[in-house]
Amino acid sequence: MRPRTDQQQFTTRKAVALPGLLLVVTLLSACSMGQVVVRSSAAILDSGIDAMNRETDLRLARDAMPANIKLLEGMLIEDPGNTELRLYAAQGFYGYSYGFIEGEDRARAAHLYRRCYSHALKALAQSGMQLDPEHTSAEQLDAAIGRLDRGAVPALFWTASCLGKWIDLNRDNVRSIAGVSNAATLMQGVLDLDETYYHGGAHMFFGVFYGGRAPMLGGDFARAEKHFRRAAQINEQKLLLVDLLKAEYMYRQQLDRTAFHDTLVKIQSAPDDLYPEMALVNAIARQKAAELLTHEGDWF
Amino acid sequence: MNRFCLNRLLVLLSFLLVAVPGHGQAAASKTYELKFATLAPAGTTWVNLLEEWADNVKQQSNGRLVFKIYPGGVQGDEPDVLKKIRFGQLHGGAFTGYGIGRIFSPARVLELPFLFENINEIDYVREQLMPGIEQGYRDNGYEMLGWMEVGYVYFFSKEPIRSLADLNSARLWYWQGDPLGKAFFDASGLSPVPLSIIDVYTSLSTGMIDTVYAPPLGALALQWFSRTKYITNVPMANGIGSLVVSRRFFQGLPQDLQLLLKRTGRETGEKLVAATRHDNKEGLTVLQEHGLVLVEGDADLVGDEIKAISDKAGRTLVDNGYIPAALIERVRELIRQYRSTDETIKQNADG
Repeated sequence: MRPRTDQQQFTTRKAVALPGLLLVVTLLSACSMGQVVVRSSAAILDSGIDAMNRETDLRLARDAMPANIKLLEGMLIEDPGNTELRLYAAQGFYGYSYGFIEGEDRARAAHLYRRCYSHALKALAQSGMQLDPEHTSAEQLDAAIGRLDRGAVPALFWTASCLGKWIDLNRDNVRSIAGVSNAATLMQGVLDLDETYYHGGAHMFFGVFYGGRAPMLGGDFARAEKHFRRAAQINEQKLLLVDLLKAEYMYRQQLDRTAFHDTLVKIQSAPDDLYPEMALVNAIARQKAAELLTHEGDWF
Repeated sequence: MNRFCLNRLLVLLSFLLVAVPGHGQAAASKTYELKFATLAPAGTTWVNLLEEWADNVKQQSNGRLVFKIYPGGVQGDEPDVLKKIRFGQLHGGAFTGYGIGRIFSPARVLELPFLFENINEIDYVREQLMPGIEQGYRDNGYEMLGWMEVGYVYFFSKEPIRSLADLNSARLWYWQGDPLGKAFFDASGLSPVPLSIIDVYTSLSTGMIDTVYAPPLGALALQWFSRTKYITNVPMANGIGSLVVSRRFFQGLPQDLQLLLKRTGRETGEKLVAATRHDNKEGLTVLQEHGLVLVEGDADLVGDEIKAISDKAGRTLVDNGYIPAALIERVRELIRQYRSTDETIKQNADG
């Protein structure tokens, strides 16, 4: 599930592939053979991720993703300092866990999010932030993020996303609860540096952050609504995930059964070709909408 | 008796013979749904234990009594939930002292600041008071199913709070609308900033307040800890909680289900207390791992001076009818009893 905005730093592999070849002699002197092979196959990898994002058959995607993730991890053994590969691996774990595992095995999903976090955190360190967000005070974290530039956005985004999901699936763990505000601080960094990254993903995060809690516990529905609206605006209302998250977290929290039901039904009936470049995410959103509707009677 | 009357009598008898067992069967097979709300978010230890309770009740009642749990404050805060219970939209909930004050305020005697010295004293006194508290709930339209706690409440601050003077110079929050907190701060001569709990995090961020009070788990869950640096290692009070249902709902249940609900509710309460104590203890460690510094209180925060303030707050609560004087006196007597007399009681309580 690769980001598609034009500002991102690490998704321009195709564009740099050719000039990259010109540097091959220089690289050979500094890199191992494995690294050279890994780096030269990055363009193919990029196309593979494109193809995965365009997949509409969920079963095919589910079956294919583990092999792709393991391939990425294998490549990382050869080239551990490769930030782009790290981020692809983080995305792979996130997408596989969110799309296919979370609904059936939350403990395994949490474990996969942790692996996602581990890759993203290494990418963040390679992007200039060496702190461990789980054992850092809010002030230190704020200061460290303040020193980052736009190039660190992908690493910040996936670190915050993976950490946030891991926390969400470990709410009975006192240690994990403590990490919520730091995950939000990381994501605030994304919002400040590039709010459009990953189709407005940071806005979706804060939509859930403020919409999924009672006001007494830090929720703020007006702010959540604003973030969801901005995310939808950024992806031109083509990503069904925005409405899915809004129904799952905010409408459920607001106990608004009608909005919950209508939104999920609308997602299910969205056209298949709404966003061909992100067809897989939209197919996952449709599947999740159907699953959430089965809980309607229990939750309202 | 003429023939007409005899026929009527036979019809009536036959009706009774058929109808009475029929009625019994209907009651035995009827399904009851208990709509139960809590502020605790889904997936937390609290809600996991409530769900386990619901599963046990469903199983042991053969599906005749089922819970519908509304977690995460989706039904509103505690006063909202109480209102919905009164209107019959909900039947029960898990409440903290804030809500309990609206059900039976004398129960909050167990939350009086700086009254108890340790958890064993609290457990001992609570056990003695429990029949009266249960009756108080009943008289006010609620049945208590289980007792729970939110845990020891500490001060969290941006500057170290070691003494009353430190508290006096702090921009201290107080939970608007909470008579117990108000009585304590009035008695202390402090001028806290009254705010709804909703505004605390933002107000800590903007600097409108710099000192709050909460149990460790609360400070973590509400993320207040991320805007403070110090914890004063003086537990000021032990926050209470209860699992309750409306009397109307409870009395509408067949007796076997009433007994089932009471028994399993009590067991769940005990599990909740144990889990909360464990999580709060771990929470204190985690908070320090996140850089918060535990500071010790000076003599005036742990000695006679603070106890005199606690007494004064107690008198205010008596004056405004929140807690009866006799109850406070009884609690003091029980504490004296516990402290001075028997090792035996202490040993039993220590278990």
